[in-house]
Amino acid sequence: MTVDALITETADRLFGRLCTHDAVQAAEEGGGAPEIWEAFTETGFAWISLPEEAGGSGGTLEDALEVLRLAGYHAAPIPAAENGILGGWLLASAGLELPEGIVTVAPGTARDTLKVADDGTVTGSVEMVPWGRGAERLAVVCGGVVASIPVEAAVVETKMSLAGEPRDTLTFDGAPADVVDAPVGVDSRALRFRGALSRVALMGGAIEKMSQLTVSYTNEREQFGRPVARFQAVQQHLVWAAQDAALARMAAEAAGAAASRGEAGFEIAAAKLNTNQAATRATKACHQAHGAMGMTQEYPLHHYSRRLWSWRTEYGGTTEWAKWVGEAVAAQGADGLYPAITGGSAALI
Amino acid sequence: MRFTPTELTDDELALQSDVRDFLAAELPPGSYMPGLGMSAASDRAFSKKMADRGWVGMSLPKEWGGHDRTAVDRFVVVEEMLRWGAPVAYHWVADRQTGNIINKFGSDEQKTRFLPKICAGELGFSIGMSEPDSGSDLASVTTRAERDQGGWIVNGTKIWTSNAHQNDWFICLLRTQPLESGGNKREGLSQFLIDIHDTPGLELGPIPFLNGEHHFNEVSFTDVFVPDENVVGVPGMGWNQNTTEMAYERGGPDRWLSVFSTVEQLLREAEGTAMGERTIELLGELAARWWGIRNLSLSVARLIDSGHAPSIESSLVKEMATRFELETIEKLVELVDTELSLESESLFEQLLSQCVLTGPGNTIRGGTIEILRSVASKGLQGLPV
Repeated sequence: MTVDALITETADRLFGRLCTHDAVQAAEEGGGAPEIWEAFTETGFAWISLPEEAGGSGGTLEDALEVLRLAGYHAAPIPAAENGILGGWLLASAGLELPEGIVTVAPGTARDTLKVADDGTVTGSVEMVPWGRGAERLAVVCGGVVASIPVEAAVVETKMSLAGEPRDTLTFDGAPADVVDAPVGVDSRALRFRGALSRVALMGGAIEKMSQLTVSYTNEREQFGRPVARFQAVQQHLVWAAQDAALARMAAEAAGAAASRGEAGFEIAAAKLNTNQAATRATKACHQAHGAMGMTQEYPLHHYSRRLWSWRTEYGGTTEWAKWVGEAVAAQGADGLYPAITGGSAALI
Repeated sequence: MRFTPTELTDDELALQSDVRDFLAAELPPGSYMPGLGMSAASDRAFSKKMADRGWVGMSLPKEWGGHDRTAVDRFVVVEEMLRWGAPVAYHWVADRQTGNIINKFGSDEQKTRFLPKICAGELGFSIGMSEPDSGSDLASVTTRAERDQGGWIVNGTKIWTSNAHQNDWFICLLRTQPLESGGNKREGLSQFLIDIHDTPGLELGPIPFLNGEHHFNEVSFTDVFVPDENVVGVPGMGWNQNTTEMAYERGGPDRWLSVFSTVEQLLREAEGTAMGERTIELLGELAARWWGIRNLSLSVARLIDSGHAPSIESSLVKEMATRFELETIEKLVELVDTELSLESESLFEQLLSQCVLTGPGNTIRGGTIEILRSVASKGLQGLPV
């Protein structure tokens, strides 16, 4: 399956026009970017891949991931993943109504205490909720049910990710919610893999942009009478960043293709693991090549590097996924190791 | 630069399955000493068996004994051979690049003489590029070929010529026009086909590897006569002919599977025991990275089949993949944390010992990673490579 070039062009143009350095900076200071969100919803991208009969815009998961890749590429300061393939997916799969406003999702941390009572009310708190403060509904999956909870019923404690994006704590005390039994295949594990897939797509875009920024900056910046990109010691950083950009994008696209077909646990886990490590290496290389300029607010490198540091630990850090992949391949035994690498989830026993 | 994701077709998966069946029958685990990727053993009988299946010279034309298969078909065969540690050294270079060079630039007479034998797994090639004073700066080679009646007289020395003692011929980059001061050293080079064992004036001797093994050779020429019919392509165009083949040489599975047989053996010896957390995590990291790099490498093969010459992409992959191999060896050594020996009771420890001793060569052979970075970074900046 390939993504229609029109989606790529439209999303690239939209984000490129709206996500200027100043706009991304302002979103960080204001805790959101309502005008970027509005333009995003006008294109229909906010509900891409959600079925039209559920109120979505139609399209495939790969279409949605391509939009996320470009959101990452342009550091779009909006809950594109939460509203679409995460929270929107939870509600649409469970037959719950998609709201007019933003739906966000509780990613699930070890400290969450939220419980859904038999009478359909919810009590407790959830942490690290992206753009919780600006959302209309919070989607959660826990204890065999999917719940859509009005955010206006929450006490919101505003917090930020390393990238300055909202990651709020929402606390409920007997709030009314729309609750339905979770359909088969919709559970916290499925959300974790989809969340990881969303981060991989965003990260693939951000690493690519960071790599390109670094090539241009080092060609403009002169020291010792020539562009610093002429020095081999600097070229090594350009090459390493470009490799990680290629590795991350390939991982995202390969995992996306597998997920569109069916079970893709291995591909998503391997992709998140590769991309987390790629983000670690590439941010290091790109910052080093930029010198002090990359450490300033006025230069845009941090819009990408800080998002990567944030996304790298969301929906599973390196150790969690290394363990998952390790256990999956160890279970295949020695003879099954290479078939697992070439065949992925379909080859796992 | 763009690596387009690709997957194997049903026909390609059927080929993969055939190769796996062949290997399981020919080389059941435990019946042979697995090699470390392309550093595997040289075994003429095995090369012949592969050729009988049509798996040597696959992408060469049927007209010359080949099989008109794709770069991806060859990728599928090669990755299975390498991960198995199969003894592929004898036909390795001829299959990977010399056959392609002769097919692309050689005369019909040369194609008739060499390609059917290459495809039959009966002709092993070595590569004569480096010299005592020319390594990474390959265009500075000084071994010269001077015009003579019906051919050329060669004088000079080639070094690091892998497996020349086991192979039959080698393809040699020689200077056919003297380098004028200030001249372009990439001009005036030519490629020659030379019989290693039956050429008067050619001396072959070992350059022992750091552990005493015999891989490298020194080949010296004293007034060696090479007939015109053994010059490949156009005299003076050797540099260009050589570099166009680099995409085939650089991004393939031989650059990321050298340590695979060692890791597989780690898992084999751990079967039935409880594996530690660190072992599990390392296995996970390695499997994930192999999956990622394989996707990139497969994409390069697909690009070649669609008529591109992805030299930047293949340089990026090779640089990344060979560094990954070295990191893998380091992590395995830290993981087992024991005294290593080639005579260990454990086959895994024997293989890891061999990895430690030969590993540094992985980021040097076929172009050092420093040269690859230079090529790749020029490509990234849009400069001529």
